[in-house]
Amino acid sequence: MNAIQSPERMPSSVPAAPLTSKALAALPSGVDTVPRLFAHIAAARAGEVMLRQKELGIWRAYTHAEVADIVADLACGLVQLGLQPGEVLSILSNTCREWLWTDLAGLTAGGVVNGIYPTDAAAQLQYLCADSATRVLFVENEEQLDKFLEVEEQLPAVRQVVVFDMEGLARLDHPRVMSFEALIGAGRARRLASPELVGQRLASRGPADLAVLVYTSGTTGRPKGAMISHANAMAAVGTLQDFLPATRLRERAAFLPLCHVSERIFGAYYALLAGQVLNFVEDPETIFDNIREIQPDVFMAVPRIWEKLYSSVTISMREATRLEQWAYRRALAVGERVARCRELRQPVPALLQLRHAIARRLVLDNLRRMMGLGRVEVAITGAAPISADLIRWYQALGIELDELWGMTEITGAATCNPQGRSKPGSVGVALPGSEVRLSEEGELLVRGPQVFMGYLNLPEKTAEVLRQDGWLRTGDIGRLDDEGYVYVTDRMKDIIITAGGKNVTPSEWENQVKFSPYVTDAVVIGDRRAFLSCLVMIDQDNVEQWAQERSIAFSDYRSLTRSEEVIALIGAEIEKVNRQFARVEQIKQFRLIETRLGAEDEELTPTMKLKRALVNRKYAALIESMYAGRPGA
Amino acid sequence: MSIGQSEGSVLRLSNIESSYGPVKAIRGVTLRVRESEIATVLGSNGAGKSTILKTISGVLEPVKGSVEFKGRDITAQDPAAIVRAGLSHVPEGREVFPLLSVRDNLQMGAYTRSDRDGVARDMEAVFGYFPILRERAAQDAGLLSGGQQQMLAISRALMAEPQLILLDEPSLGLSPRLTKEIFEIIVRINRERGTTILLVEQNANMALNAADFGYVLENGRIVMEDSCAALREKDDIKEFYLGAKESGARGERRWKKKKTWR
Repeated sequence: MNAIQSPERMPSSVPAAPLTSKALAALPSGVDTVPRLFAHIAAARAGEVMLRQKELGIWRAYTHAEVADIVADLACGLVQLGLQPGEVLSILSNTCREWLWTDLAGLTAGGVVNGIYPTDAAAQLQYLCADSATRVLFVENEEQLDKFLEVEEQLPAVRQVVVFDMEGLARLDHPRVMSFEALIGAGRARRLASPELVGQRLASRGPADLAVLVYTSGTTGRPKGAMISHANAMAAVGTLQDFLPATRLRERAAFLPLCHVSERIFGAYYALLAGQVLNFVEDPETIFDNIREIQPDVFMAVPRIWEKLYSSVTISMREATRLEQWAYRRALAVGERVARCRELRQPVPALLQLRHAIARRLVLDNLRRMMGLGRVEVAITGAAPISADLIRWYQALGIELDELWGMTEITGAATCNPQGRSKPGSVGVALPGSEVRLSEEGELLVRGPQVFMGYLNLPEKTAEVLRQDGWLRTGDIGRLDDEGYVYVTDRMKDIIITAGGKNVTPSEWENQVKFSPYVTDAVVIGDRRAFLSCLVMIDQDNVEQWAQERSIAFSDYRSLTRSEEVIALIGAEIEKVNRQFARVEQIKQFRLIETRLGAEDEELTPTMKLKRALVNRKYAALIESMYAGRPGA
Repeated sequence: MSIGQSEGSVLRLSNIESSYGPVKAIRGVTLRVRESEIATVLGSNGAGKSTILKTISGVLEPVKGSVEFKGRDITAQDPAAIVRAGLSHVPEGREVFPLLSVRDNLQMGAYTRSDRDGVARDMEAVFGYFPILRERAAQDAGLLSGGQQQMLAISRALMAEPQLILLDEPSLGLSPRLTKEIFEIIVRINRERGTTILLVEQNANMALNAADFGYVLENGRIVMEDSCAALREKDDIKEFYLGAKESGARGERRWKKKKTWR
């Protein structure tokens, strides 16, 4: 950590003065909470399409006016259920239109909205509802309802459960369960009887009030409920609107979980302000098909999605004809040279420009279209670290993929790469309104209007991260360059100190190995050990295809991970990455995880990444096997 | 590794891929059937079960991979040669010769054989397994009931004196009682004659009870393999193949769990 500078000399320390963003300043006065923003936008763009969702295979569009009507009905329905301003409602569902409607209605009614991952089990649901003091719970369908019914006795405070999709529940007769339609109906009646109700409730909450609860998946211990105020959320969307370029067309695909702060802020509220149309994918499994249909203009995704899109191209190139492969390599090489010039801020030579135009026309544009990213103007990755080389690959393809950095506690993003001036490997510059600096220990600190209110019911935990002087400890260590670009090295608690006393930041190595199409994720191990090792989760589709092409015998997933050839394949990929690192940072041993893991498994985060602490604990025996019989083990 | 070695296995498939035109039906199947055992491939409609059998018996030429029978490569060989080598296929939907008598159908099964005494002995044996066929010996096979036709198809395969029988959905269209009867005789044939059987079934309950070792095929790929005793205890098998559901808090449940295959 040789880049530690004193706070006074921090180049990126934006003065705290311009707290209100240009975008927010342009709004009429009083539009300072999320539901008032929605009411304002919905009135201004009443006839324009706000969102689409497929119904029996056909995209059904909803205008702002239609959504506003539904939201008002729902809000009155919530009042009818007895929801008081400041009380909590929770949503247990995949990303869908009802999720967004309920969120906006809950906020309109003065409530606090908490999202729960649809992959969470009944016990987690019970904890989250109890901790947040949830009064009304919205569930997606029969499957999610069953989780509530399993723990209903322990949740006496939940007054009502509302089910989005009643399929299979026609005969259900439960005093605490009702359908979404019934709630809208009840709300409509209430709204007709007291038309002033929506306005009253909109006025019941101010910018300083709690709006949204986001539970962070603690790798150790219980999840903590991060409290986000209306002002936090408004600042977060305002700064994105100020910073990101406006696009000509405004389609975007909505598929990330809305319980996650990034999709909530970027996908829902920012889209609202920026006037983007939300297209809800059918199912988490159909994301890639739906992206091709939607051809989004704005695309924000987690690294896992970008990695998957990349490997789908590399794999299909392998099956392509020689001419296609040759064309791909040549075109990509031209794209890489152009991207390199831009990265070094050098002018692109005229001849190269011409070749680039040809490469784009003949190859790269088609590739992008095939991925569903033919029209993308704003491409963002965040929520987890990504390999700089992967970003460069997208830039060579003609997609300017910009990495942002943030966390729940900052209500989304704190820094982002500016379009046209991005530096792959860095997470960009501080967003307008936010300040970023390093602590004496090299930890990145953030200050600004987006910094959250604290953790619900956990004042000590809040005090641990929120300093008296208003700076938030992010738990990430990093550095800043002389242009104010922030580089995140790793999570502070993830730093490995080997038995030899060497500090190693595992995520650099891990991100590099994830660049391999055969590796989904890896966890480096080696704290207080003689050497580094890692556990690898293979990419099932790609490894299966690889094995098949080579006639390597395997039957189920386990036998695939045990196949000598597959182990050798991953070993070669690891060796490739090792060459880019110093000796002490190289991986000497590895094992493949033999169980196929899914979103329901505790080992994975909602962004489908392995949880380091849990993996270390759960696979202790497998880890020990790598150190058995070796010196220093 | 359970696959890979060939000791004791009569049949070995390595990385078989088969297509119908541009449609890939099986995508890299590796399995083996050991001497004198009943192996089963479970799977839903369209999983590729019948395609596996057709590829083994030479009716379908695989795009990739190899089939080994008794240690010899028989990939895409002439089906008649494969029958002569001792491998009989009982196709899905029985496919008896409707206008030939039951006896002639059985004789057709023995077409490749020249030992008259042996053929006569086997004819007696199948009449022993299925007495109804003796009663109907002179009738046209087309006049038999579905269950009887299935008995005839199995018997016709036996007439070739095979070491391995491929059985494609013997329970198709049969009553539960008849299915049970036929499965009992399949097990008897296996135990008494030592005939190795590869059974493909949708009726997982029957197949798992009759067979020794099972493979689960989904979308043209094997997702699970184990002894049938172990398979019966797997959660995914119970839920998706045996129809056992945890009823949940409401006592009824429509939604499907995600398959994990572990």
